[in-house]
Amino acid sequence: MKRIDKIRNFCIVAHIDHGKSTLADRLIEKTGTLAKRDMQAQLLDSMELEREKGITIKLTPTRMNYTYNGEEYQLNLIDTPGHVDFTYEVSRSLAACEGAILIVDASQGVEAQTLANAYLAIDNNLDILPVVNKIDLPSARPEEVKKEVEDVVGIPAMHAPCISAKEGTNIEQVLEMIVKEFPAPKGDENGKLKCLIFDSYYDNFKGAICLIRVFDGSVKVGDKIKMFQTGKVYEVTEVGIFVPHEKSTGVLLAGDVGYLAGSIKNISDIAVGDTITNALDPIDAPLAGYKKVQPVVFCGIFPVDGAKYNELKDSLEKLKLNDASLEFSPEVSQALGFGFRCGFLGLLHLEIITERLEREFNLDLITTAPSVFYRVHKTDGNVIELSNPSSLPPVVEISKIEEPFVKASIFTPPEYVGAIMELAQEKRGVYKDLTYLDAGRVRLNYILPLGEIIYDFFDSLKSRTRGYASFDYEMADYAESELVRVDILLNGEKCDALSIIVHKDKAYARGRALTEKLKKIIPRQLFEVPIQAAIGGKIIARETVSAMRKDVLAKCYGGDITRKRKLLEKQKEGKKRMRKIGSVEIPSEAFMSILKLDDEG
Amino acid sequence: MLGVYVHIPFCQRKCNYCAFSSFVLNEEKQTEYVDFLIKEIKNFAKNNTKKVDTIFIGGGTPSLLPIHLMWQIFQTLKSEFVIDEKAEITIECNPNSLTLHALQEYKQMGINRISIGVQSLDDNQLQFIGRLHNSQTAINSIKMAKEVFENVSVDLLIGIKNQQKEAFLTDLRTIASLGVTHISTYMLQVEGGTPLAQMAENNPALLPDDDECVGIYESAVKELAKLGFNQYEVSNFAKEGNKCKHNQKYWRGDEYIGFGLSAHSYINGTRFANSNNFTDYYKSKIAMTEKLDENQLITEHIMLGLRCDLGVDKNYLKSLKFDIEKSESLADYVQRGIIRTSGDKLFLNPQYYGVNNFIIAHLLP
Repeated sequence: MKRIDKIRNFCIVAHIDHGKSTLADRLIEKTGTLAKRDMQAQLLDSMELEREKGITIKLTPTRMNYTYNGEEYQLNLIDTPGHVDFTYEVSRSLAACEGAILIVDASQGVEAQTLANAYLAIDNNLDILPVVNKIDLPSARPEEVKKEVEDVVGIPAMHAPCISAKEGTNIEQVLEMIVKEFPAPKGDENGKLKCLIFDSYYDNFKGAICLIRVFDGSVKVGDKIKMFQTGKVYEVTEVGIFVPHEKSTGVLLAGDVGYLAGSIKNISDIAVGDTITNALDPIDAPLAGYKKVQPVVFCGIFPVDGAKYNELKDSLEKLKLNDASLEFSPEVSQALGFGFRCGFLGLLHLEIITERLEREFNLDLITTAPSVFYRVHKTDGNVIELSNPSSLPPVVEISKIEEPFVKASIFTPPEYVGAIMELAQEKRGVYKDLTYLDAGRVRLNYILPLGEIIYDFFDSLKSRTRGYASFDYEMADYAESELVRVDILLNGEKCDALSIIVHKDKAYARGRALTEKLKKIIPRQLFEVPIQAAIGGKIIARETVSAMRKDVLAKCYGGDITRKRKLLEKQKEGKKRMRKIGSVEIPSEAFMSILKLDDEG
Repeated sequence: MLGVYVHIPFCQRKCNYCAFSSFVLNEEKQTEYVDFLIKEIKNFAKNNTKKVDTIFIGGGTPSLLPIHLMWQIFQTLKSEFVIDEKAEITIECNPNSLTLHALQEYKQMGINRISIGVQSLDDNQLQFIGRLHNSQTAINSIKMAKEVFENVSVDLLIGIKNQQKEAFLTDLRTIASLGVTHISTYMLQVEGGTPLAQMAENNPALLPDDDECVGIYESAVKELAKLGFNQYEVSNFAKEGNKCKHNQKYWRGDEYIGFGLSAHSYINGTRFANSNNFTDYYKSKIAMTEKLDENQLITEHIMLGLRCDLGVDKNYLKSLKFDIEKSESLADYVQRGIIRTSGDKLFLNPQYYGVNNFIIAHLLP
């Protein structure tokens, strides 16, 4: 048997919590790649935050050796992030494989991301091996779930292994089927070099590192390589594989999965999805499927303590080293001072970055309400794009505003269809179709504005369906909407950081909800503070925080000045967390509180 | 000159709102306590020859201490310190434990100012806060004190259950008509761990809200002005020439020594306090001590100076390397008439005494 015929490149895809990482761990353990004592639970999810959230963000490929019928096979597992924010990364990882294991939870069955991921795999011409997991659960119904996979996903599933990754049941069967079911890579190791970059990360010593799949040819240390998108040429300083930690091998051949280093300074010099070829003997055209990753969700991030601006900048730069999709540029807000406008792949990405900034870099942050990228057509014919509501030009200069939409699919038990339709309608959704997948499951397709999805959609969906519905989306086109900016005025002064862009029909309700919420959060001041919501010059809602009249008139008992001073020092510390709009002090929490308004519910 | 505070931690019963060091009395304990107190005074005076110009006997209920024990304390003070002939010497008394005989004895000891814990002239309110006297006893005690002393002060509480503004103003007029020279109106504070805190937790509607309290306070300030009492601190009002010198020492940052259980002192830039339990106190254990750094000195000067008519001295702050004139907040407050400047001094407009913490917190370095 030829070397390449004993390689299997595959990934595992699944809906969140269906057991992707647990199965990966079992495969690594079973093939003896790592001794059990070296296994940290869920090894592939290497970041603390990932382990805590139970989600995978960063991909870590692993080479495993597995002997079947006396032959030793090389199994390359490429893990994928299981979240809609990272769809493009997933698609590039899939493009590096020939096969995909599709895990389905034996009691939950097919969910939104099961289908979305299965389709991604089909789009990439992968062979799919369904695996029914969690058969140890009392509520497991493996036979029904197999049928569901056949009916809903449309792939044969009767032969699917029924396993418990948690308990290690039937893992051997999965390994056998990887060898038997998935095709070996095709490729000519003597041909011209053709490599796919499916991920990258930053190493302090080696610089930016490409995770690659070699399709044709070979690459070794000393080779001059060229990247198609950037056109840049590098000399290879190291190539190797993951077992699952980096192991230098000196050369990678067609069919292999591994890493490549070449003194590449910045991770932004590496485009995920790009093609690498030999600079001296290049191929004519790159691999298909490359896309520039664009952030779709934006927010302002400011340090609570204005003096920490530089620390925030350094921290963002450090994160950016390992995350090319994170974008940021300086922003100045009258209310919040100096900070950054940051772009993310989605809400989860935003959440991960802000949490890492706070935890790993110990920063106290104010984040403004997430926003999407709007396309504003001005009356003078110019088109501008913006994500910061306060950059919106005056109404008279706008001829129309376009906003991004998504194609959303929601899987739900039939009893929640009504609730979901109601929610989708509130969120300005346009109904496309409804399909009964089986007696217990319905799929709803909607076109929804992304701006509504990032505003409390997940939480509402969860609460209205008691957690039973699952949701996935892909970006669709921009379309015109009747959008307006709602400003918040405190004591007559506009607070730029509190402005939001909303649909005209919702402006009043949101304005009211905002002022009510702020009234609860803004402490009394020395004078009465009117809180107003306005569209242009028109006030649409108003609340008032009455003036403070008393703080403390306590007696200094027996000359105990210290107690009084300490109370005051504490009060002074509290002031550091306050922002001043004109002469009104607002706690930094106020800016975040507008992210969650309990209106419209 | 030095101020002296002597704490007498005994009461007939503890009031519902009191979080202070005081214990139900017992003659044996009192003798033991005074014995130690005298040792403490003598011990301090050995190394300290400063002249004393204020003495304040506080509590607890000092008027409950048997006269012969009070005599022992005063004999010690007189023998150990040089007391200025114009010294202000105050004793706190409760209406129900005050007798004419005791007042005359106090005068003999050299006491020249009586401070009576009247708190209220409404019998229901007095009962609610756990006081043992009624309004008639209170009035009688003021009259009695006035027979012996010119300088008589009355403490009142704002923020008691069912307190009505008009009734409170009437009480002020009644008290003023008895010839008192000084009135303190403290806001009732719910301190953790007191019976009042428990009561308020079970029934939050029990106490008037902040706005009501402030309404009463503001009306009281106006009424007292009409009655000839000048406000010289957030809670203190005096007839011309009758400000409490001892309390002013606290606010001015002057030195004072505290004797007795849990008493606080400020000497040589160091604040310290005695232990608040008898066992540790009798072992001369200190509950806390703290040498003030520049920042703390600045904070205290601003905090204390703006809560009374003593004001803040810009030059003193400069000597501590703090230029308060660079504060944006100060400029804002001055412009809005909240703070008044006069020469090198800053004063809080008395209208804003009630929210002084908020303002002060903005002016600190």
